[in-house]
Amino acid sequence: MDVLPHSNCENCEHFNADGLKKLGVDTTDFDYIVALAGNPNTGKSTVFNALTGLRQHTGNWPGKTVTRAEGAFQYNEKKYKLVDLPGTYSLLSTSEDEEVARNFILFGKPDVTVIVVDANRLERNLNLVLQILEITDKAVLCLNLMDEAKRNNIEINIRSLAKDLGIPVVPASARYKEGIPELIQTISDVASGKIICKPHRIKNIPKDIEEAVRILSDKIKKEFPNIPNSRWIAFRLLEGDNQIIEALESGVFV
Amino acid sequence: MYFCVNRKGKYLKFIMYSYNPTYALLIFIVVSMVLFLLFRPNRGLFWKIRSVYRVDDKIVIEDILKQLYHSEDKQIGINFLVNALGYRDSIIISGIDKMIDGNLVYFEGEYLKLTEEGHDYALKIVRVHRLWERYLAEKTGFDKSEWHGIAEQKEHETDDEEAGKLASSLGNPIFDPHGDPIPTISGKIAELDSIPLSGLKVGDIGKIINIDDNPEIIYKQILAENIHIGSQIKVLENNSTRVTFYSEGEEYRLAPIVAANIKVSIVNTPEEILEDNVIRLTGLKPDEKAIIEGISKESRGDSRRRLLDLGFVKGAEISIDLVNPFGEPTAYFVKGTTIALRDDQARKILIKKD
Amino acid sequence: MDKKNIHNIIALANELRWKIGDDFHDNLAEGIYADAAEIVEDAIIDKNRDRKERLDNKIDRIVTSRVWGFPIMFSILALVLWITIKGANYPSAFLADILLGDVRPMLKSFAASLNFPWWLSGFLIDGVYLAVAWVIAVMLPPMAIFFPLFTLLEDFGYLPRVAFNLDYLFKKSGAHGKQALTMSMGFGCNAAGVVATRIIDSPRERLIAIITNNFSLCNGRWPTQILLATIFIGAVVPASLSSIVSLGAVFGIAVLGIFFMFFVSWALSKTLLKGEVSTFNLELPPYRPPDFWRTIYTSIIDRTLIVLWRAIVFAAPAGAVIWLISNLYIGEQSIAAWMIHYLDGFGFLIGLNGVILLAYIVAIPANEIVIPTILMLTVLVTGLNVGEGAGVMFELDSVNDTASVLKAGGWTLLTAINVMLFSLLHNPCSTTIYTIYKETKSMKWTVLASILPVIIGFVVTFVVAQLWRIFVN
Ligand SMILES: Nc1nc2c(ncn2[C@@H]2O[C@H](COP(=O)(O)OP(=O)(O)OP(=O)(O)O)[C@@H](O)[C@H]2O)c(=O)[nH]1
Ligand SMILES: [Mg+2]
Repeated sequence: MDVLPHSNCENCEHFNADGLKKLGVDTTDFDYIVALAGNPNTGKSTVFNALTGLRQHTGNWPGKTVTRAEGAFQYNEKKYKLVDLPGTYSLLSTSEDEEVARNFILFGKPDVTVIVVDANRLERNLNLVLQILEITDKAVLCLNLMDEAKRNNIEINIRSLAKDLGIPVVPASARYKEGIPELIQTISDVASGKIICKPHRIKNIPKDIEEAVRILSDKIKKEFPNIPNSRWIAFRLLEGDNQIIEALESGVFV
Repeated sequence: MYFCVNRKGKYLKFIMYSYNPTYALLIFIVVSMVLFLLFRPNRGLFWKIRSVYRVDDKIVIEDILKQLYHSEDKQIGINFLVNALGYRDSIIISGIDKMIDGNLVYFEGEYLKLTEEGHDYALKIVRVHRLWERYLAEKTGFDKSEWHGIAEQKEHETDDEEAGKLASSLGNPIFDPHGDPIPTISGKIAELDSIPLSGLKVGDIGKIINIDDNPEIIYKQILAENIHIGSQIKVLENNSTRVTFYSEGEEYRLAPIVAANIKVSIVNTPEEILEDNVIRLTGLKPDEKAIIEGISKESRGDSRRRLLDLGFVKGAEISIDLVNPFGEPTAYFVKGTTIALRDDQARKILIKKD
Repeated sequence: MDKKNIHNIIALANELRWKIGDDFHDNLAEGIYADAAEIVEDAIIDKNRDRKERLDNKIDRIVTSRVWGFPIMFSILALVLWITIKGANYPSAFLADILLGDVRPMLKSFAASLNFPWWLSGFLIDGVYLAVAWVIAVMLPPMAIFFPLFTLLEDFGYLPRVAFNLDYLFKKSGAHGKQALTMSMGFGCNAAGVVATRIIDSPRERLIAIITNNFSLCNGRWPTQILLATIFIGAVVPASLSSIVSLGAVFGIAVLGIFFMFFVSWALSKTLLKGEVSTFNLELPPYRPPDFWRTIYTSIIDRTLIVLWRAIVFAAPAGAVIWLISNLYIGEQSIAAWMIHYLDGFGFLIGLNGVILLAYIVAIPANEIVIPTILMLTVLVTGLNVGEGAGVMFELDSVNDTASVLKAGGWTLLTAINVMLFSLLHNPCSTTIYTIYKETKSMKWTVLASILPVIIGFVVTFVVAQLWRIFVN
């Protein structure tokens, strides 16, 4: 199946408003785990509140959320546990302030990762998006703050973005609850396998590095046939990331 | 004011009757001054006394080994060691006795020489020292001028296993932050192909690869000039009174003896030579635009990664967005966002003005 | 999993790393950005990049300017304070009326009708209930006003500008500029401020931020400051000036707290937490018009719930303890009287008294109950006739009654000033201490963070008391 780019109207008709129930903090017996990742201050907590009906603190500065928060919603008979993460700029660092988010994205095994980005700062946000797409292939891009983008005369071609990234893209203004139904529908489609993503892989890497990564990731694949993101692990091993080495040794990835 | 006088109790009464605010204040001031003299950082009497009692054989022996290792081509006797290390004669002599027993050193006439074992031991200490410096540079906020002193202490406290862990947590580095090679466990040392800056001719272009942190006075002088490892330099003048060179948008003038502590490797491949309009980000003026050329090697570890993550990558357009009331930090506009940096970081970002 | 295979992989990785050299990370980061640029090239149709033209930048140029930056910062703080002081009066009086004037007699007669023994109704109603009621009536309104105002500022995007303006001072103190953000959060609640220090990525600077967060005058301490400033400091000037002077006094205490925060940060980074500042980078987000009503609504609800919760969890047991120590006797005096007796000497030395010190000991769990505890204990030791017996927090619906009780307890202007100082400079509340422990996972730093402010508090109040007695009295 091909990737369907999603735009506002494509989804509204599918959306089943009666099937949605905000469950607040009740996260028992969930069917899927959904992680909310993204750069700082892109509206992750606002999206989280819109989906769960909770009142997680939001604030207009990078770093408002520092611990992970959990909530849940139910849509069409399936229960989703939603995890709001602190913002991160990158998964390539080892800095302490980003540890919580990094660990959850890497080791928390979310069924769907919703990447919330700021439509006004797409280019810098893509830095993280492209890294996450190396790790998982079940992801949704929530293009948030669309209202501001409109005000700033930024027009985004959703279709081409979805095609380039290989994952569904949902434009939204979380604060005004715009795009939230579409987001829910898309999350459920990705979770259930109705949408299959073909995530973008980082291309612009010097030849010798690409070669080294290939050799290493082939070796990893041979030893651990079940690891889905051997390329990412190769990246990290080449950088000497101790945490990844430990994770390999303890078998977290398998 | 003395509302509690009506209640009983000897101790209360004592305070009430003998109390005088002026005396109380005076006593307080005296007590605080005594405490300050005892415990003030570094120079406090308490610390000094403690450090005298802390000297133990291991530290003395290791210091002697290091001293011998670093001056293997020189003739070193006991007097030299006493002067260089600042321990008392008796301590040094008893240290040497133990080292001879342990087959680490031997006398050649009145001069001391390292045995093979002594040489290996010394190399291990050098390795640990440089690993610690690297660690301090990458993972902590300590100032450059403090790395050496801390590493000097840590090297005596770190065993082989810890050193191994330290090395692997740093990704088994080859060089320490001054550009000196770190010996491997098996004792291999990377070769440095460098010449002192003072030995360059006018017009030569080179890249700084090592800044010697010994002696400390000269090192501090170099640090004060904000000269970085990895910077490209071009010599403009070199005579017996001074060495003048251009680097990253600024001219530097050093005494030859200071310049001799900076080691450079000559750059002769034309592709590697940076253009003259490559300067530091601190040289950018409001209302100017520039393209980022890269981040200096002087920025390391997590802080370097963070800069890259924030979009300070080669080719990004950058301008000044806001100037601080105090002059620092400055907010730069890069890839659609305003990001504030302090000058010591901005100095490590190279840009090309157009 | 076979260990050997993993070692093979790691060995291979090490070997390859030697080959590709030092610049791997740089190359990768640049590569990712190059990909991003290509994608954006395709997807973004209209790039509007010139920020200089936008309103954001114009506001920024004013709030970070050499001339206006600091005055604006201080005026905003003063304005928030002023609204809080003015606005809190009415709801406070209203709540006191209901909780103390209506509900309490009802509870009393209810207890009487059930034939409760005196000690049980005393313990429950005069101890537990009154403590809770006091906290709600006196403490809740200022907090429920201050906090939403603060949240509005936060939502607008002003806090990062404060960090930008103050960073230089933090650098000079050896601290991280983002400490300005955690300090601001501390004005709301120190425990929240301590958790917020996670945004500081260097451990040394983070510890400094944690230890000094207590110098941000937290929400729970504002009402104490306001009350004392109104009673004692506002009273020494003509009535027309009194409100502005008491506002100035509270403001001064908050600023003094900021001063101590810088000073202690500096001292720590010269001694226990030696080291230079590592890196600092701060993203300045665009200004956003706050979602006014929603913010007000959610933060009032939030605050109210927290205060109510704390009132029940902390004030209630404290109320019980106060009642107990006032009614259990050892020899001829109650426990409370004994303790006050022994604390009096030291209290006098630092310009306070035994009652105040005991109140601070009892109130370790929560700063909110310090003033009611002081009042109640003062009545106990002076034998005044306002209360209804030992350990009862009587009905104080007017500032004047409070004033007369305190004055009867021997309070002078010096006592008031020193209590205001001590309320700024003493140990953090129990929640904050626990949070510090959770965040640092270290007993040593938790103890230091708890003790250090008290020591500073003793020193400052001591010096002030002596100077006052030498020069004023
Ligand atoms: N105009 C507008 N503002 C929004 C929208 N979504 C969120 N915001 C605002 O953006 C700011 C940041 O929102 P948060 O939800 O706290 O962002 P976050 O991603 O959780 O931030 P961190 O926790 O710091 O990583 C808040 O002031 C929100 O009110 C939106 O769709 N439109
Ligand atoms: Mg958040």
